[in-house]
Amino acid sequence: MAFTRRLLGHGVGLRTKHFAELLAAPPPVDWVEAISENFMTPGGRPVAVLEKVRRDVPVVLHGVALSIGSTDPLSEPYLDQLAALAHRVEPAWISDHLCWGSHGGRYAHDLWPLPYTEEALRHVVARVQHAQERLGRQILLENVSSYVAFRASEMPEWEFLAEVARRADCGILLDVNNVYVSARNHGFDPERYLAGVPADRIGQVHLAGHSDRGAYLLDTHDGEVAPAVWDLYRETVRRTGAVSTLVEWDDRVPPLERLVEESRRARAVEAELLAPGRRVA
Amino acid sequence: MTRLVELQAAFHALATRAPSPPLAAEAFLVGSRELSAAERAGIYADMYGWRLADALREDYPKLASLLGDARFLALAGAYARAHPPDRPDLGQHGRHLPRFLRRLPAPERADLGDLAALEWARAEVFFEAPATAAAHASLAALGPAAFPDTSIVLVPALRVLALDHDVAALWRRLEAGEAAGAAVAAPTAVVVWRAGLDVFHAVVELDEARALRLARAGRPVSAICAAFADREDPAAAAFAALASWLDEGWVAAFRLPAAPGERA
Repeated sequence: MAFTRRLLGHGVGLRTKHFAELLAAPPPVDWVEAISENFMTPGGRPVAVLEKVRRDVPVVLHGVALSIGSTDPLSEPYLDQLAALAHRVEPAWISDHLCWGSHGGRYAHDLWPLPYTEEALRHVVARVQHAQERLGRQILLENVSSYVAFRASEMPEWEFLAEVARRADCGILLDVNNVYVSARNHGFDPERYLAGVPADRIGQVHLAGHSDRGAYLLDTHDGEVAPAVWDLYRETVRRTGAVSTLVEWDDRVPPLERLVEESRRARAVEAELLAPGRRVA
Repeated sequence: MTRLVELQAAFHALATRAPSPPLAAEAFLVGSRELSAAERAGIYADMYGWRLADALREDYPKLASLLGDARFLALAGAYARAHPPDRPDLGQHGRHLPRFLRRLPAPERADLGDLAALEWARAEVFFEAPATAAAHASLAALGPAAFPDTSIVLVPALRVLALDHDVAALWRRLEAGEAAGAAVAAPTAVVVWRAGLDVFHAVVELDEARALRLARAGRPVSAICAAFADREDPAAAAFAALASWLDEGWVAAFRLPAAPGERA
């Protein structure tokens, strides 16, 4: 059982606000991440833009509705649609979140954290294996930001994530901002989280902005990456070496140029750390 | 599995503000000095409401602008309680809103359901499959003998709406930022379609709408023409309508009747 990291470089999310620019010229980044559910339609502008962008640069699919941790049955129609989209787009990889968001046939359209128990672990692992068989490929699972923790949890989140990846033989999409937000909200050391995640399973990194609501941090994706998150990204790259990195900016979306600037900053951080003579653990 | 199921049921109830949650937040969630377990669950409950309201606002921008933020949020909340999302695609959440508005026991405006129907049709055709429109030449090529029995295949990105109010005029006023008085109550037919990547709609005569629905149902040209029976010259009206359908790109193909012994 192994996971092979593919290096795409530095990318940004494909967002409606930038569609006109992306139809007019190739994206000024190495690759683009598309939210899977936004493109599971037979036609329309989003599909046209995705097909155009796919001709220009590699695309990865990032889902928000797989609900891999839910006790509801996995949605087979959803997996069919995802498989069909993957067949059409040929993404470099497919990712979703280590969370749940549906119960009793009702979808919350949110990324709810799991209780980190052995029972939940076995449940998630079986479902990841099923999804991977259906899609014919390894998937990557992203750690979510959270505001609640379950009293029933038997292990820290990073241990749960590492065990899911090991037992299901899947990859990890490490959202560094989510690590930071959850660390602040639950009072754990974010570097301890990074140390607990197997670096060789990390296939992609997310960076994003968050908002300080006083008593807690909210994962808002509506601004630039915070200094503390850049520090954590440096620590991540020290552990992983070069890793495909994407900046998410989903609310109050800036002009494409500003988003690309944030992505270039990530590239510069990585280049500085991986310059010849710098040793990476 | 029992424990995980129970925890998810309890959290789902709190995060969607269900009326009778099986467990209090403190019973199964960790609180802290800064933020109690209930306050933490409340963060998710707030996000649930906002997210669903945002999804509705995206599909119903004119309705949202007509109602204003507070009334639209209240409507979104009432709608979510009546129709909690049941599909992985958040874009499908709003599909029951026109019917929900029409069935409200005491609606503040009778035309809101029709306005919502128009907006939902516009959202639907935006995502429909593309199709190549048939050319006028393909009509000419049919020949007069086969014509009456030929059926017309309409493009997927086309909807024919039967409404009780002229909400097309209301939509236009909202688009222009003008005062949105009530829409005129009158049977109104509206066609919504996509050309390239742009969505359009237009009011059509009621008999033409009937003809389009017959075409959609796969009826032959002879039956479609009968929809114009009340016109002074039904054949000319039918032909003019068909020509305009071709002009607008609403026709994907003409299907000739199957020959005897041939599989249709």
